[in-house]
Amino acid sequence: MSRRASTSFFSLRRILIVAQSTVTQLVRMKVFYFLAPVALLFVGIQFFDLIWYQGAETLEPEQELRMHKNICLGTMMVFSSMFGIVATALLIPGDIEDRTLYTILCKPVPRLDYLVGKLVGVVAVIFIAMVVMDVLLVTTLHFRTEGKLVEATQYMKKVGYPEVDLAAGRAEIAAHGPTLILQYGVMAHFLKASVIAAVALLISTFSTSTIFTIATSSMIWIIGSFQSVAREGLFNDPTSGGDPNMAERIVNTFVSLVFPDFKLFESIADGAVRAENVLQADMIQLGGLTAIYVGIYVVLSWFVFSDKEF
Amino acid sequence: MSDVPAVEVKNLVKDFKGALREKKVRAVKDVSLQIAPGEVYGLIGPNGSGKSTTMKAVLGLVGPTSGSTSIFGRNSLKVDSRNEVGFLPENPYFYKHLTAAETVRFYGKLCGMRGRKLKERIGELLELVGLQDARDRPLKGFSKGMLQRIGLAQAMVQDPRLLVLDEPTAGVDPTGSRQIRDLILELKNRGITVFLCSHLLEQVQQVCDRVGIIHQGVLVNEGRLDELISVENRTEIILENASENLLDQIRSLVDVTYKAEMVSEGNARTTLEDLFLRETMSDAKGKAVSK
Repeated sequence: MSRRASTSFFSLRRILIVAQSTVTQLVRMKVFYFLAPVALLFVGIQFFDLIWYQGAETLEPEQELRMHKNICLGTMMVFSSMFGIVATALLIPGDIEDRTLYTILCKPVPRLDYLVGKLVGVVAVIFIAMVVMDVLLVTTLHFRTEGKLVEATQYMKKVGYPEVDLAAGRAEIAAHGPTLILQYGVMAHFLKASVIAAVALLISTFSTSTIFTIATSSMIWIIGSFQSVAREGLFNDPTSGGDPNMAERIVNTFVSLVFPDFKLFESIADGAVRAENVLQADMIQLGGLTAIYVGIYVVLSWFVFSDKEF
Repeated sequence: MSDVPAVEVKNLVKDFKGALREKKVRAVKDVSLQIAPGEVYGLIGPNGSGKSTTMKAVLGLVGPTSGSTSIFGRNSLKVDSRNEVGFLPENPYFYKHLTAAETVRFYGKLCGMRGRKLKERIGELLELVGLQDARDRPLKGFSKGMLQRIGLAQAMVQDPRLLVLDEPTAGVDPTGSRQIRDLILELKNRGITVFLCSHLLEQVQQVCDRVGIIHQGVLVNEGRLDELISVENRTEIILENASENLLDQIRSLVDVTYKAEMVSEGNARTTLEDLFLRETMSDAKGKAVSK
């Protein structure tokens, strides 16, 4: 008879232990060093205007702010997604090659806990990095917006704009500053990076090398970013004059099931750049979609990993 | 003591799939063995004989093609069975970014330990394996022997009833090797079951109660060590301070006894390991004294 209680199928505590160890590992691998060039970039673009920007008299200072947001959000998207792929691809195959996994799985640790713990650790590091980049973005954008507001106000007063138009002009510029909608855009990139990390997790459970995992995950990332456009072009061609046929529907469904569709993530981020009205409901939908994608990839990873022999 | 064996392997067969167009390889062929609680069991065999595969099957790292393995009556494939087992793999690697104390803490937490109990256990284990001075050093600076010792500490963290050791002294210097051997004997005295694989047959001989010899996936011989290695028709007598006269009398008796024959005679020898330890330990003591 055993002296100890039975091991639960799924334990949040064990997951957090693995996740905490993963965060420590990544932090001690000095992954946050990449934030230094990002900070330089974010601060540096403060000093660059659009080449066609002719000053406040063009009455389009929001284009400057849009450019600022576009570059910063684009950088955040690339760094978070690449980080999600590379970190996940390095960690699990690394544990297998080093045999660290032997000692972990020989403890009462269900394989699902290990996988989820690793993913949570990577996502936590992405989250920390996104928060730091977000603070940088908000700070630099705040100063730039304030500068543009002063510049535009002075110009409009000089020209003699009525008070109503002045307020409307200022509101339009302020809408391109650090708003809640901008935070939705940052959140969309974070959620997208989480899905990509889950894809990399799945691939690393059957991949034989880190390079393969990185290459395949990157390919899925690219396909996921363009698949909806490709599917629309291929299967909803208006010149064909009708609904897609059965074969097209099957291929369409298969592609959309196998590859994550990042269109919704991108459209929210693009909306944040253009300062369009992004609804809270859209964010809830995006959160739900992320949960479904991550859930599917984790279950598939577990399915592959549960019978894996070492 | 419980009747349930600490380890039970029943008709274990393990096949590995070959690459494309290659035949599958049968690594373990119908191996059955039992290890009683408190016993030290050594599985020996040449490289590729199936030792590690058998061990991995016992730990649930590989699933049997047929047959079964269990730890204290629990199927090895079930996570529950790992509450009672600690494993030290051959040439272990751990997270190099962690310190010795953090490593033991990490594995302790995985076993559900926490708080003061875990803190005390970490100190106790680091002292047991002689790493208390290196407790806050990252593992990336550890020698092979130190890694082996931290491996032992993590294996013992939850105070398991069974320890599985794969080549526990591989790459360790004779002093470290002796310490590990002494530790195994101490664990045995505490009633902990030890299942080990080693190429160092002399060490196996020194610590094991029973051994199994595996060759090409087949358990070719198994039994109590003293029974397996004793030569039935030979007797060894070791005398201390025997006079030449006494030795002459013994020789004469042998000569007049039917069929008896003196096979060899000479000074008893120490082992090279004992000589090494005596010289290096006395050197260390000498240096300590001269300081």
